[in-house]
Amino acid sequence: MTNSHQYQHQLAEDRFGLSVTARLSDAADQLPYDISERLRAARMQALGKRKVALVRTSSQLATAGANGTKAFGHPAWWDRVAAAVPLLALVFGLVAINMIQTENRANELAEIDAALLTDDLPPAAYTDPAFTQFLKISSGQYQ
Amino acid sequence: MATEQELSEFLKSVEKRAFKRSVYHVRNDESALDIVQDSMMKLAEHYGHKPAAELPMLFQRILSNCTLDWFRRQKTRNTLFSNFGDFAQSGEDEEFDLLETLNLQNHSDQTESAESSTQRAQTLHAIEVEIQELPARQREAFLMRYWEELDVAETAVAMGCSEGSVKTHCSRAVHALGIALRAKGITL
Repeated sequence: MTNSHQYQHQLAEDRFGLSVTARLSDAADQLPYDISERLRAARMQALGKRKVALVRTSSQLATAGANGTKAFGHPAWWDRVAAAVPLLALVFGLVAINMIQTENRANELAEIDAALLTDDLPPAAYTDPAFTQFLKISSGQYQ
Repeated sequence: MATEQELSEFLKSVEKRAFKRSVYHVRNDESALDIVQDSMMKLAEHYGHKPAAELPMLFQRILSNCTLDWFRRQKTRNTLFSNFGDFAQSGEDEEFDLLETLNLQNHSDQTESAESSTQRAQTLHAIEVEIQELPARQREAFLMRYWEELDVAETAVAMGCSEGSVKTHCSRAVHALGIALRAKGITL
């Protein structure tokens, strides 16, 4: 019962609304000549804009198509990966150079240590100031 | 994708109603023409490639946004030049009412007797005045729902609100119009 009443109420509202706007449509159809003409000119201008927009869109597509990779249909993510490859190669190269240099330096230090330890002279002799003085004097005499 | 012919036909079918709707909102012929022209150009430029079936909804949305933009610009302008703005606005209102009445009478003369055409014009003028008196959202919902013949869901999308709000706005607008027109002795 309530639903039926609401439905009737809604129908009455719709009927009233449509009868009001029917009168408005009459008024809209009878617009002054100058207004109608200006609306027509605006419509023509809008259609002109559409043509410009379409031409711009098609020329952009043509430029993109002439770009090589896109012409072959590669997806966009592939282009990005391809662009990142040189950067990744540079980073890997720098890391590799750093590791090689560290290893070379460690090898050199190991060789010096081995030479010191296998020499006849004990390593503690090099910390003795008198022995250092002796070395200086003896090297001066030989020169 | 809508062809140029379809777009042209669509714009032709809506331009007059769009103009009158804008007039009811902004109460000024020149501004209403600007709003309709902007809306048409935006539709053609940005959505000209859309299917013809989507054009009505897109146009309603664009027209609403353009009208809203106009009110924002007016607000800014009135804030900057409040004295001059108020003075100019009141002058335009008076001119609009007078011209509207005269134009309607002139056109009605061609097909009807003087008495009935006058009465018809007076009724129409009264309806237009009462529609202009409605709150903006109620007016927008009422005109979209009953003049543009969008359903509740489409009106809600175009207005950016819920379907319940659209029903409420429409119902209030219908009741306000009914009471106001009955008070003036107008029956439809």
